[in-house]
Amino acid sequence: MATTEQEVNELIKREYEHGFVTEIETDTFEPGLNEDVIARLSAIKKEPEFMLEWRLKAYRRWLEMKEPNWAHVGYPKIDYNSISYYSAPKRKEDMPQSLDDIDPELLRTYEKLGIPLHERAQLAGVAVDAVFDSVSVATTFKEPLAKAGVIFCSISEAVRDYPELVQKYLGSVVPHTDNYFAGLNAAVFSDGTFVYVPKGVRCPMELSTYFRINAANTGQFERTLIIADEGSYVSYLEGCTAPMRDENQLHAAVVELVALDDAQIKYSTVQNWYPGDENGKGGIFNFVTKRAACIGKNSKVSWTQVETGSAVTWKYPSCILRGENSVGEFYSVALTHNYQQADTGTKMIHLGKNTSSTIISKGISAGKSSNTYRGLVKFGPRAEGARNFTQCDSLLIGDRCGAHTFPYIESLNKSAIVEHEATTSKVSDEQMFLCRQRGIDPEQAVSMIVNGFCKEVFKELPMEFAVEAGKLLEVSLEGSVG
Amino acid sequence: MKPAPTLSTAFLHPAGQALPEPLLALRKQRGAALVDMPLPTRKTENWKYSSKYLKLTDEMASSLPINGKAGSALAVPGYKVVFINGMVIPEACEYPDLNNILIQRFGDLSDAEASELAERLDSTLDKKAVQLAGLNSARFEDGLVIRLKPDAVLDQPLFIIHEVTAGHSGSAFPRIFVDAGRNSKITLVEEYISSGQEAVMVNTVTEFNLAEGANVTNIRLSMDGENVQHIGATGVLQQRSSRFESHCVGFGGPLRRHDLQVRLEGEGAECKLNGVVVTQGTQHYDNHTTIEHVAPHCDSEETYRNIAADKSHAVFNGRIHIHQDAQKSNANMNNKNLLLNTGAEIDTKPELEIYADDVKCAHGATIGQLDEESLFYLVSRGISRREANVLLTMAFINELVAQIPVDAVKDTVQTHLNQFFDQTFQEA
Repeated sequence: MATTEQEVNELIKREYEHGFVTEIETDTFEPGLNEDVIARLSAIKKEPEFMLEWRLKAYRRWLEMKEPNWAHVGYPKIDYNSISYYSAPKRKEDMPQSLDDIDPELLRTYEKLGIPLHERAQLAGVAVDAVFDSVSVATTFKEPLAKAGVIFCSISEAVRDYPELVQKYLGSVVPHTDNYFAGLNAAVFSDGTFVYVPKGVRCPMELSTYFRINAANTGQFERTLIIADEGSYVSYLEGCTAPMRDENQLHAAVVELVALDDAQIKYSTVQNWYPGDENGKGGIFNFVTKRAACIGKNSKVSWTQVETGSAVTWKYPSCILRGENSVGEFYSVALTHNYQQADTGTKMIHLGKNTSSTIISKGISAGKSSNTYRGLVKFGPRAEGARNFTQCDSLLIGDRCGAHTFPYIESLNKSAIVEHEATTSKVSDEQMFLCRQRGIDPEQAVSMIVNGFCKEVFKELPMEFAVEAGKLLEVSLEGSVG
Repeated sequence: MKPAPTLSTAFLHPAGQALPEPLLALRKQRGAALVDMPLPTRKTENWKYSSKYLKLTDEMASSLPINGKAGSALAVPGYKVVFINGMVIPEACEYPDLNNILIQRFGDLSDAEASELAERLDSTLDKKAVQLAGLNSARFEDGLVIRLKPDAVLDQPLFIIHEVTAGHSGSAFPRIFVDAGRNSKITLVEEYISSGQEAVMVNTVTEFNLAEGANVTNIRLSMDGENVQHIGATGVLQQRSSRFESHCVGFGGPLRRHDLQVRLEGEGAECKLNGVVVTQGTQHYDNHTTIEHVAPHCDSEETYRNIAADKSHAVFNGRIHIHQDAQKSNANMNNKNLLLNTGAEIDTKPELEIYADDVKCAHGATIGQLDEESLFYLVSRGISRREANVLLTMAFINELVAQIPVDAVKDTVQTHLNQFFDQTFQEA
């Protein structure tokens, strides 16, 4: 939360620079999806020819695909023709004019999370004036990055400025044929992040969507591509702990990571989108495809996620461990409350020799929610000496919630070793008694116990994130006891 | 996209009309439901790993005639019922005529008894999950119903020998229904064997109903030949404080599939499921188990071990489902796998589906190989490498083999295991 001023500054600058209203007649497309819409979208973004073709190919294939129904979630049918597939960022006049126009419930949450006043306005989508003029964004992060040779920009810019990199890697990890939502994303993705870390470079700072203000308006079909060249290192943070105001109900993002020889990528997510109200009304559908390809020898990808938001989450950050000695890690905390549903987990596909992976998943379900871990660990016939350790624990709070585990384990190699453990338990009466006896109120006690339950994952998060994640759980669990 | 293949209509013509009217009617009704039934494919979740092994040709649709009595000669240390090609052979059976334990063929039931039975057949199974068991309900030509009155105890194990004689291609549909009354007790051993070389299918359904306090032990030994595709389903319904124990030992074949479904419906019911699977060559074996904790205070304990050698394929899918009101449930599932060669494949999926909060559930699964250091330890003490391999492999499953409560079955299993060791571990 340290860089709000920069963000605000950049937001203002951006809108000013581009205006967003000049060339096109309307800011928002009519709802509906067809090849015309895609062509217009591509034209507005000034994309090269190959991108349009790529999008159209994805769209034609998507038409033949069926929406998956295997996940342990239920949601009303989505009408893809009632969605508008392009919307320019809002102008100031259209936004709520002050914090007084914002839902007081949301403001209370901000207060509990300890978010500074001026940040609250920005998060709530209030049109902000240039009150906090400050250090230029360029000097704080653009310069050191440029010096190191790291490319960090929006994917739309990358398509125009680095077409050879984009053409080589876009869709190489998650092809448009992969699944229904990835296909849709490939056809209509709005914007997202592009990162390229050149050979031997250790990225000098933690990158975050937070820095890049257009990320606040990437819309519902975000696309991220991160490439770590030989011997490089990058840590990327996605999302933010404060609940964002968002008008799109369906989110279908795709994240692709590529790690070459000796490269290392650390990808951390904190997701706290609107989960719907206490009765399960509204809330965001988050159908995300995240996958990393460890192509190079000794490469390493580590996914860390804290999921507390969205009405329905459908998300499996995965690693394809192709390079020799490559390493995949997955650390996850998923918390569901009220009527939230989460079906999340990971896939570790071991193809190369001596590849190893670790999966630590902690699911917490409260209220009437349902929380599912679904994972795949697969050893190909050439994965000599491969190794996996999986632990997935579930914690139940309340007797109307569900916690499920569906781990798929497939082994084709004699020398590969896999271990899987899962437990399910509740916050025990003894633990509660111990806390209560010492004068800790029940709500705080539960929060303490839950924090302890998640410790293994939190310690993998960058420090500021970890502190916030702890607080976030506390807020999310409110009202689950008593 | 290609339309999914459906069940050939050739399979929908049951033979054998020597059954009471209510059972014939049931069979007809079940058959009608199978018209255009899609066959499982790779996309069918519960047949994901096995659908490619399922090969139902029209030649296999006909019923096998009864000839030969090879199985009937088998001596067993207990009572005996012999099925040949799905039909009970009365002259080969040996069991006492008791007042409180009735053992009857379907064909010998009165109409009243048969209509009562027809009501209850299939009631222990989740039909959606065992699609192909529906074929048994549409095709059975005979069956065995065992009814234990309250407090009845069968003093010796009852062996049910199922033999198929594969003189030519065809199918057999043996069926068993057990109704265990209050506090009754029985040990039932099912042995599946075969003779002949032609491609055949055995499609079995065994159902157990356990009343309050009943105690049933079921041993299932699958030893069919390399020409037999075996698709079996076992359903168990348990009332208050009943206890069910199952020991499934299976040796691979072109297709082996067993679905075991247990529903704990009364408080304090308890089940224990053990399984050992051994595959070699290009064999296949697939065990699917489901334990449903419907009532509170129930315990379940499940332990399965698979050993896959050469290019064979072993699958385990265990599911524990704790219903919302099943508080204080205790469920434990453990699946360990030994992969002896690269080229063999093991797929395992231990699932938990939990809707109650005051429960203790855990599952564990591992896949690995024999520990090099243990092998070295044994070899360095003058034990041959082969012998060391055998010792360690046996140790992997011995815990389960030793628990089989009938010694004669234990010996049979050991004999088969020794054959497996001889073929798998050569002298270096």
